Amino acid sequence: MLAIVDYQMGNIHSLGNALAFLGCEARVSRDPEVLLAADKLILPGVGAFDAAMRNLREFGLVDVLDEAVRRRGTPVLGVCVGMQIMASRGTENGFSEGLGWIDGAVEVITPTVIGTRVPHVGFNEVRFAAGNNDVVGDFAKPTDFYFVHSYHMVCSDPADRVGAVSYGGQELTAMVRRDNVLGVQFHPEKSQSNGLKLLGAFLRC
Amino acid sequence: MLKKRLIFTLLYCDGGYVLSRNFRLQTVGDLAWLRENYDFDAIAQSIDELVVLDVSRGERDTAAFAEHLKELSASYFLPIAAGGGLRSLEDGYRLLAANADKLVVNSPIIDNPALVRTLAQTFGSQSVVASVDCRKTEAGYRVFIHNGETDSGLDVAAAVSRATELGVGEIYLTAIDKDGTGFGYDGELAVQAAAATRLPIILSGGVGRYQHFCDGLAIEGISGASTANIYNFIVGGLSRARTHIAARDIPMAAWDFNLAALRGTANKEST
Repeated sequence: MLAIVDYQMGNIHSLGNALAFLGCEARVSRDPEVLLAADKLILPGVGAFDAAMRNLREFGLVDVLDEAVRRRGTPVLGVCVGMQIMASRGTENGFSEGLGWIDGAVEVITPTVIGTRVPHVGFNEVRFAAGNNDVVGDFAKPTDFYFVHSYHMVCSDPADRVGAVSYGGQELTAMVRRDNVLGVQFHPEKSQSNGLKLLGAFLRC
Repeated sequence: MLKKRLIFTLLYCDGGYVLSRNFRLQTVGDLAWLRENYDFDAIAQSIDELVVLDVSRGERDTAAFAEHLKELSASYFLPIAAGGGLRSLEDGYRLLAANADKLVVNSPIIDNPALVRTLAQTFGSQSVVASVDCRKTEAGYRVFIHNGETDSGLDVAAAVSRATELGVGEIYLTAIDKDGTGFGYDGELAVQAAAATRLPIILSGGVGRYQHFCDGLAIEGISGASTANIYNFIVGGLSRARTHIAARDIPMAAWDFNLAALRGTANKEST
């Protein structure tokens, strides 16, 4: 059973619809028993880093997710802010501690090309690092995904960054991966067939 | 590189869909009809973004519109902007819970700026789109509100600047005189709007041929090109339009249009 973590951070129906289209009826839940019993987790999220961590704490989910992901090794996919909070810390609206599954900080995008707009919104090309064929084997060439974000994750260990996107003269983190932890900055549920393929691969891997 | 956007705009009116010519509406059919006769699935799978506007002329029922949007969007996986008749923050929550990513506001830019500001602060600038409807007059391009019926008293530059100050994230610019004509976008209007803001602008009104999309996207500051004319781009029309645009060195996102091939491909162990 796949569970989508419901911590009141934005619309989760589109993700549920995408999984249903692929043939996976996900449970949407914040019940610790359901999350611990799940064989896969999706951590969604639209909004700010600090608000996301506050909600996780309020629902008592930080330890539950740590138990599932770190101790039991449940594969997890973070999407957008759900990916960002996997980092050690965030800087949106002041410092806040993240889940710490990926070493690094989430920082505001600082374009070096004058006139570049933040947020970064729209379809943009992601280049994936070699060795992740189980998840991105469908994408031999740089592939377009839909982004909408003002902050991005800066990984302490460059090996954790397995997908990058160019914007405003910067290389932004588009995908992170370490062991059973996978996170994407873009929205696979809003990226047409490219996103469905990635979600399908996560379901199968 | 950030890609340009090809956009389809669906005009919703009292439970069905309509075509518009110079803002006069003509009923085409309901959702089932749209899917059956115009293969709307093929359209939705070949565009970068879908805009759904409630253009019902009487009292608007946002709850019913949201229900409809939810049904419409359940098997479409792309960014969706929805609006028309938004009166409250509550309406905003309703549409976002119905799979919309962005809210489109038009008359409130002029007659309810506090609502626009609240929407932008609550959901973020990237979630609010200002729709600006313009008519060419002897005094230049004037902005009209209330379905194009009321002269706002502002010219296009003033209205676009006001929307920008209110915190919206992009501008959806419609030339009422070109709407539904097939004569092409109003390029001069686009240039004037782009000079008044740094926000991304979507052009609407007038597309009749593939080349019109290219003409619009070639204008500095224009990031999206929309059409609401389902008759012109029936079935594979918009995927061919993408190919036409990309072949003219305009950066367009690419994906495999056959989403149906992916249906039900999740592995059984994980379900």
